[in-house]
Amino acid sequence: MAALLFPTVRAVAYAPLRELILPPPAAVTITLLYSTEKEAWLKEVIPQFESSGATVDGHPLKIQLEAMGSWEINEAVLSGTRKPVMVSPASALQIAALQDASTAQFGKGLVNPADIASCRSVLKTPLVLVAWKERADVLWGQQPSASLWRNIHDALVNPQGWATYNHPDWGYIKFGHTDPLKSNSGFMTILLMTYGYHDKTSNLTTSDILKDNDFQKWFLETEMSIGQFENSTGPLMQKMISYGPSTFDFVAVYEATAIEQSDNAVGRYGELRVYYPPALLWSDHPFCVLNADWVTPQETQAARLFIDYLTSQPAQNLALQKYGFRPVEPTIKLEQPGSPFDRYAANGFKADISSLPEVEIPAGNVLNTLRDFWARNVTR
Amino acid sequence: MKNCFHTFLSVFAILSMLLSACGQIQSVIPGGTVTISIVYGSEKQQWLDPLVKQFNDANNKTPGGKVIVVQATAMGSIESVRGIMDGSLQPTVWSPASSIYIPVANAEWKKTHPDDLVTGTPKDLVLSPVVIAMWRPMAQALGWPGKALGWADIAQLATSADGWKAYNHPEWGQFKFGHTHPAYSNSGIVSIIAEAYAGLKKQRGLTVADLQAPELMKFMSDVESSVIHYGTSTGFFAERMFGNGPSYLSAAVMYENLIVAQETKRIDGQSTQIPVVAIYPKEGTFWSNHPYVVLNAPWVTADQKEAAGVFQNFLLDKPQQLKALELGFRPSDPSIPLSSPLDSQHGADPSQPQTILEIPSASVIDGIQNLWKQAKKPVDLIVVMDISGSMGGDKITTARSSLMSFVQKLDDRDRLEIDLFSSDISILTPLTEVGAKRQQVLDSVSGIFEGGDTRLYDATLQAYENLQKNGNPKHIRAVVVLTDGQDTASTNTLDAINTQINAASGEGGNAIKIFTIAFGDGADKDVLKKIAEPTGGKEYDSSPANIQKIYDDIATFF
Repeated sequence: MAALLFPTVRAVAYAPLRELILPPPAAVTITLLYSTEKEAWLKEVIPQFESSGATVDGHPLKIQLEAMGSWEINEAVLSGTRKPVMVSPASALQIAALQDASTAQFGKGLVNPADIASCRSVLKTPLVLVAWKERADVLWGQQPSASLWRNIHDALVNPQGWATYNHPDWGYIKFGHTDPLKSNSGFMTILLMTYGYHDKTSNLTTSDILKDNDFQKWFLETEMSIGQFENSTGPLMQKMISYGPSTFDFVAVYEATAIEQSDNAVGRYGELRVYYPPALLWSDHPFCVLNADWVTPQETQAARLFIDYLTSQPAQNLALQKYGFRPVEPTIKLEQPGSPFDRYAANGFKADISSLPEVEIPAGNVLNTLRDFWARNVTR
Repeated sequence: MKNCFHTFLSVFAILSMLLSACGQIQSVIPGGTVTISIVYGSEKQQWLDPLVKQFNDANNKTPGGKVIVVQATAMGSIESVRGIMDGSLQPTVWSPASSIYIPVANAEWKKTHPDDLVTGTPKDLVLSPVVIAMWRPMAQALGWPGKALGWADIAQLATSADGWKAYNHPEWGQFKFGHTHPAYSNSGIVSIIAEAYAGLKKQRGLTVADLQAPELMKFMSDVESSVIHYGTSTGFFAERMFGNGPSYLSAAVMYENLIVAQETKRIDGQSTQIPVVAIYPKEGTFWSNHPYVVLNAPWVTADQKEAAGVFQNFLLDKPQQLKALELGFRPSDPSIPLSSPLDSQHGADPSQPQTILEIPSASVIDGIQNLWKQAKKPVDLIVVMDISGSMGGDKITTARSSLMSFVQKLDDRDRLEIDLFSSDISILTPLTEVGAKRQQVLDSVSGIFEGGDTRLYDATLQAYENLQKNGNPKHIRAVVVLTDGQDTASTNTLDAINTQINAASGEGGNAIKIFTIAFGDGADKDVLKKIAEPTGGKEYDSSPANIQKIYDDIATFF
């Protein structure tokens, strides 16, 4: 009540006096559940936003962060253990799943991707494969073919391993991705694999997953060849570099994660290179205001201002230059001198990947079916 | 004004002293501190010990403001699992040499608890690949560095009747191999898993059914036949190899960092041994990754979890990681380049290993351990026990009970003789297999009593000669001598024992080993050292309070 009252009094008070005689206005706090891939960028940008002078009805704005796994965000909101103003998982996959699940549970979607003022992508980075060049050259050459995922399966299950390719000293073929139940990049990997098996980029259905025995066998053979699933993408990439080719021949991670670790890989175990899969899937970091009764109109307005700030040029430029994300702000050029796409071009990073098709984000029930299938059959 | 100033200074000084004292008091008031205990694989002791002291001296605090006190204990990685399972160890943090045993620990824990003991994926503190340490001239004789070597080459050498003669070096004698005891040490477990893979010519996908293959049993027995003895920790094994030289051990399974540390010593003039190199097995190996595990156990409090996180961050900070590199570890921090001393000058090749072996399931690891018990080299053992009059009271009681426990640890195929000495020397049980007589031996030991003089030298020499005559040279041969006093009645002398020991020096690591236990202050420790150490055995200072632990330690050799 006081918070609502004071701005009115403030508005009529004599300006030089009001700062002295009245208490500072209460801030509108935007609680945000977010996935950790963008943490360093957010923690750099938020203080700038808070001190930028942005207000709603004269109230300053404050962001209160809580880090979570992308799927954990959905679980926390659906179970009611958290009531945030805003969520930002790593990808639109979780937003689609949340819309589907909340509609089923509450009769209305808690998020609305169609309303771009309150729910839109802020940063982009595609899922890529990072491989030791010497080994990738043998396995798929300069660029993986359209049948990459099928070829990977065949290589992984081949009992002769690298001996088939005249390299018995490299042992069996080792692939790594994160745990799809805990980490978005792991889920993106199994979704791309599933599309890859069915040789399509859209119209994935639950039948493709549940009623195709050959797919299930193929999928589980691939997954069972993976020794351990890391909980998140950063540590997986770090292991790729620390342990070298002995432990992973190639891993599936975000392009931005690969950029972040590029310098560390130099002079260690040979050349590390990034490869784009034949069809892309983006981690697009949507920021979505919840359409929930616990979110006030003031908070919604404040959250929209925050999204605008995140998509402004300075914040977007920082995300590119320092953290290797692709901006959504179209005027920023990726290949500008000094950008990661300029500095690491020799490692296979490409600014222009528009020639590669993108896979369609399936309906929420398809995503949840794939998660459940993995959980039932692969978790150890 | 001046008085005011002095008064102010005095008050300021008193306040400063009070504040300073408060700070010190806070660190000792129980409510103001949180103590975390860490049980860790002994291979990283040289790195961790000074860091624990540095961390404690800095009075680091939890985010909640409590001063953190770290208490760290080095221990064999597998031994520590047993302690956690039986409740004798309740650490906050467990940092074994590798993650390989975590599935086994979780499976064991879940028999009595609803959740895993180790949850999530713990962070690695430092890395080092498991390698075969070999003297450089010997590795060169096998074709290194031009030829990639592996577990199969070790097996071939182990089974070759000609030993090093087959490689144009008859002067090196038999191939003498070593790895630690799989029931105590990570590198021991790793060695026998690698043996199983090599025996089955696989690199992954090992199943319990695979372990039934008769050729695997033969392969493991062959490799184990060249083992001179086992041991409790990898660091200890490295000391043995680098202390006693190539006549004692030709090669042993250990970690790359131990070889780099030895070569650093050698280059600095602190070791006179010939160079040693790391062989990265061509079939694949395992990483020793030193996971930092905050246990998901009921005795770990929220405060301790928080404090353990602060200590973890300290260990992963760059200065500490750089210190690890100096000691020959590969830092887990990927921003630190793999530079000197990780180079060929120090026996290492940072571009290796090229591949790893898959970590098997808990049930497969369990099966391999059982297989090893059948394949391992048996021991021919003579226990020589002082029962002179001075052994009365606590001494004879604890000596009896600890010997009984020791007998229980021996395998059925092991052969055991027990000699008792006082004024006379008598044989309680002759050198025959334990399996058929175990209960009878236990009954006999329980009836031992004291009386008479101490014929230490005569009894020791008799046992040694008996083992030379009747022991099987293909077995591990050892004499364990327990005495609480000085020799009072022998006709032989210390020189006579040493003459016999010297005569067998050509056998190197395969020679009979003598372990001596100085039981109480009355024993002459110098004499017992002079008997034990030239054989590759060890002298132990003991008392009724720790005699059981001494016998446990000796058991790890077999």
